[in-house]
Amino acid sequence: MILLDQLTKYYPSKLGRQYIFREVSFEIPSGHNIALLGANGAGKSTLFRLIAGSEYPNKGKIATDLNISWPVALTTGIHPKMTGRENAKFIGKINGIKDIDGYVEKVRRFSGLGKKFELNVGSYSSGMRPRLAFACSVAIDFDVYLIDEVTSVGDAKFRAKAKDALLEKSEQANVIMVSHEMDEIRLFCDSVILIDKGQLTFFNDLEEGIDEYKAL
Amino acid sequence: MSSIEKRGPWQIWKDVIFALFAREIKTGFNDKFGISWAILNPLLFIFMLSFIRGRMDGGLTHTMPTFVFMAYGMLLIQSFLDGLNKAGSAIKKAKPLFAFRQVQPISAVIASAMFSLMVKTFVIIGIYVAMYFLKMEIRIDEPLDMIWNLVAITVFANSLGLIAAISESFIPELSKVRGLLTRPLFFISGVFFSLQDIPREYWWLFNWNPILNCIELTRQSAYHTYGAEGVSNFYVFACVISSVFFALFYYQGVWKQAVSR
Repeated sequence: MILLDQLTKYYPSKLGRQYIFREVSFEIPSGHNIALLGANGAGKSTLFRLIAGSEYPNKGKIATDLNISWPVALTTGIHPKMTGRENAKFIGKINGIKDIDGYVEKVRRFSGLGKKFELNVGSYSSGMRPRLAFACSVAIDFDVYLIDEVTSVGDAKFRAKAKDALLEKSEQANVIMVSHEMDEIRLFCDSVILIDKGQLTFFNDLEEGIDEYKAL
Repeated sequence: MSSIEKRGPWQIWKDVIFALFAREIKTGFNDKFGISWAILNPLLFIFMLSFIRGRMDGGLTHTMPTFVFMAYGMLLIQSFLDGLNKAGSAIKKAKPLFAFRQVQPISAVIASAMFSLMVKTFVIIGIYVAMYFLKMEIRIDEPLDMIWNLVAITVFANSLGLIAAISESFIPELSKVRGLLTRPLFFISGVFFSLQDIPREYWWLFNWNPILNCIELTRQSAYHTYGAEGVSNFYVFACVISSVFFALFYYQGVWKQAVSR
């Protein structure tokens, strides 16, 4: 369970404070694979970053005792001047992995980068970087994975692999994902949180949530 | 799959700071010179200026060889400017990493401070090695005093750097002001002169500057015949303590908002 308590979040701008959330209290239930749906700019990514602890609310707090991944977006925290291996090692160390070598090996195998794993990420193609980022996250045992459109990158082979891995994960762990592809959401998720005008609504039934989202 | 170790806050801090430190070493210098350039560049600069200046008057400045006099001045002002500028941009540079909740901005500043201190240690050793081969006398009368002064200048620089870095994450334009403010420091901190060269009635124009105090005291610690006057160890100490206190106080108050923009 992730508890949002009186959450207020705004970004300063030329037009004054742009409020994303205003004193929102909400409970994200455990045991669900949740799709975050909402229009562009509704605050999906912001909520993601708040849950992950990448950003902090202006007021209120988020409480949970779950192990939550960082928001696995395209290339978060991957340094172009380090090799794939060095990047994996760095991420492993920061996250407190016991067996770093084992972890790096898993990332190497999963990312399927071959020899490129030993080269600087700067030399990777735009499809290869997210593969590394995704592999780094999926090789760690989190309770909740925050996945931001990552599964829609990479080639067909990698996509299939990512899907399998995520499906396998969703047996023991949970996924909260942002995606605009409904097929993908139907594949991974069983419920929906809809963000609209700063309010969150939970739909236990996936189709009901999707219908509501389409009606917006 | 790889499981996560339950770590206490100190353990997390340690892991993160060392990971950042290693990353700094790996990514800072990716050309053929590699990390040696970080040491060679200041070393050559200090060496050349000191050597030329030493040649010009050839003799002693307030009982110490002019080369040594210059070298300490340059070393300390560089420690200060490098420390300040590296720490000042550390938060901006590490910004993408704050996606990991374990990485807090101050860890980036601490890693950068450790890196500066390491580089400066090698630079000092390099200067002594050069002096040895030039058959100059290597003299450190008060080693503890010297170490204290080197640590003091690093801590002072990085505290100011932390203040700058947080402020700049709110107002990015401040980094330009930082460049403007630090430029004159090279000329008013006693790198090229000693406070003793200045008539007493003008001391107040210079001795408010903790860097000048630090430079004079470092020279004094190398040659106790140097006779540093008008500077105070206590003043340096007070400046270091208050800058650390203020930096941490400021950081504690606003760091969460600084990464949330």
